[in-house]
Amino acid sequence: MLTSIKTNSFAGNKGKELGMMYFRVAIVLFGAQLLMGLIAAIQFLAPGFLFELFDFSVARMVHINALVVWMLYAMIGSVYFMLSDETGHEGVGLGLGKLAFWVLTAAITVVVLVYIFIQVGSGSEATIWFINEGREYIEAPRWADIGIVVVILVFYWNVFATYMKGQKTGIMTVMVANLLALAGLYLAGMFFTDNISMDQFWWWWVIHLWVEATWEVFVGTLAAYALIKIIGAKREIVEMWLWIEVLMLFGSGILGLGHHYFWIGTPEYWWEIGALFSALEPVPLVAMFVHVLYDWGKEQGIAKGKGETGSVITNAPAMAWIVTNAFGNFLGAGIWGFFHTLPQVNIYTHGSQFTAAHGHLAFFGAYATILIGMMYMGIQYAYGAKRLPSTFKSKMAIFLITFGVVGMTVALTIAGYEQVLVERAELGAGWNAFFTAQELPWFVQAMVWRAIMGVVTLAGFVYLVWDLLTIGKVAKAAQTA
Amino acid sequence: MFEPFTDVVPSFFGWLNQGPLTLTLFLHTIIILPMIWIYFDEKKKLNKK
Amino acid sequence: MANENVSVWTSIPFWRRSAAWVTGFATILLIWLTFDTLGQISMGTDADLKNGVKKRVPAPTVINYHIDYKMDAKRGHEVPVIGEKQLFFGKEWSEKEAAELLHLGKLTSQAKNCMNCHTLLGNGAYYAPDLTKAWLDPAWQKGGPLQAMTGKNTVEEAMAEFLQHPSQYPTHARMMPDLGITAEEAKGLVAFLKHMSSIDTNGFPRNFSKTVEQFKTGGTNAH
Repeated sequence: MLTSIKTNSFAGNKGKELGMMYFRVAIVLFGAQLLMGLIAAIQFLAPGFLFELFDFSVARMVHINALVVWMLYAMIGSVYFMLSDETGHEGVGLGLGKLAFWVLTAAITVVVLVYIFIQVGSGSEATIWFINEGREYIEAPRWADIGIVVVILVFYWNVFATYMKGQKTGIMTVMVANLLALAGLYLAGMFFTDNISMDQFWWWWVIHLWVEATWEVFVGTLAAYALIKIIGAKREIVEMWLWIEVLMLFGSGILGLGHHYFWIGTPEYWWEIGALFSALEPVPLVAMFVHVLYDWGKEQGIAKGKGETGSVITNAPAMAWIVTNAFGNFLGAGIWGFFHTLPQVNIYTHGSQFTAAHGHLAFFGAYATILIGMMYMGIQYAYGAKRLPSTFKSKMAIFLITFGVVGMTVALTIAGYEQVLVERAELGAGWNAFFTAQELPWFVQAMVWRAIMGVVTLAGFVYLVWDLLTIGKVAKAAQTA
Repeated sequence: MFEPFTDVVPSFFGWLNQGPLTLTLFLHTIIILPMIWIYFDEKKKLNKK
Repeated sequence: MANENVSVWTSIPFWRRSAAWVTGFATILLIWLTFDTLGQISMGTDADLKNGVKKRVPAPTVINYHIDYKMDAKRGHEVPVIGEKQLFFGKEWSEKEAAELLHLGKLTSQAKNCMNCHTLLGNGAYYAPDLTKAWLDPAWQKGGPLQAMTGKNTVEEAMAEFLQHPSQYPTHARMMPDLGITAEEAKGLVAFLKHMSSIDTNGFPRNFSKTVEQFKTGGTNAH
């Protein structure tokens, strides 16, 4: 990972260099996310921990913001990385893109420092502009919002202008159109209103239409690119699948937004729209899983038919993460989402640890996995390795992180189940109902296991960073030997 | 099957929401149906080639 | 007609056109639905309240009324019920004053990052109680433990006192931190909470009541 950008084997390819720069920041922020999560998990067990110094609200805010930002960094990095491969053009305006990277990174550093050291402000517009907006996931203060929009415009111009000058593959067409929607949606989260129902209505436009529509299509696009690169899948097949995925993801995901409009003051007709459209959201995720395994099996079979021995996979850790993505997306976003997407169920589960369980497995399964896979692809090309076999550390990383996140999810699901039955169904949701449910042993035990599994995840992260720092050298040494 | 309107404010979508699944089946149908036309149109194009 | 057997199902143009159609049309439907919903969730007016016109999100002056949350047999779930006039912090608030107070409260709720511990309308973090109907919580009413611990005589004064000095009134080992909320900001927050409790949330949270008898007779624990 830390191979010098000036001397690595794609030195001079500005797009790929820029991609690697984004990956580096992403992995640092991923680490910050895990640390903050650990603090918040400890606070569930020992509420006095850092009380009135670094409260749960602060740890949790940095936890989810680091999550969103590291994913956006890794996504931008991935696009810059694939840009020249897909378009056959070296890239337009990448010098400005590099400047935008530094501006964005500086801005995010300031935002995080303000979150950590200033934390909250007075009830005035100045707080919304300079400290935080207090809206889950998009807390970034208004000045940073505007900065982010400017930087994203530079990024989009890089991608769009390169696309227009280069060849227009199906993958790149989907990418360019989808990125426009993804960037545009951010604007829906940039205003203030006294009406909390209106506030949450537009807030969900950003959050839902990102993670359950445009981000999912983005993942489909990355998987298509990666399959061609890693196992030599046929472009026609991959691109046909990609269009089917776009159809199904947007067909279910756009109106699936309705499942956030059950209880926020919005009309009753959203019950049906939200329930039935979002119930279809897992379908494309099954399709993506089948598609990855099918192509892998097919390419391996063709190679075998030609009498070749060995695997068709040229980048084993990346492929492992992409297969984990295909299944994790279906399990975390699909199954865990479907658990509580029907209004008859959701009226009891809404705003409970069920949501947290789904959130953990879905963000990991759908996004973290494939973005880590893209980082491994970055390493492979940076070191000019024809093949990148897994090391012991790669295997430990993927095993511990996956095991840890699944463990946290199971623990949170149990906690959510208990909370739903006791706090919601039995006691009817008040202040006392909440704390009664939080004190029951089965809830507390689940929270203990969540913290333990969080530590397991962190251990896996240590292996991941260690591996990213060393695997390239190992592969290159093996190649020259 | 058809239940009295129970929403607070009447609206077109509220009116379509006349009982279990009526609204969502309507929306799914109008989204999917035109694909049949796209299918036959593409078939014609492919056959011409 | 040489290619009779060619399959449309494996044709990229077919899927591309279908994807474009479905995406485009779903987007149009969403925009149409959005306009419809925005009309229904925009805030009502003071006149609506006076004339008994039900709005999903009432005007800020709803803080001048008694609010309850009762089972509605026709809709099959609880709905907010706006009742008789009731003083709020010992006075009746004019349209302008109420709007300013709600504005301060909503700003403060964001500035103090309420949502990263609590849930509002069920959205947020799960470290502290849901605040959707907090105004109606029996624990804050006369005789309830939360009102009693603050030594105040009304729900709004008890809540405002707690918000200004939360760590003086621990209700659980997990305490609310002191966020430097001023007396004015606390009033605003309570107005924000009272207004939120009057929003028609289609029956969320369900069963905001404790006993079967209360539930069957359509009563709730809310007062």
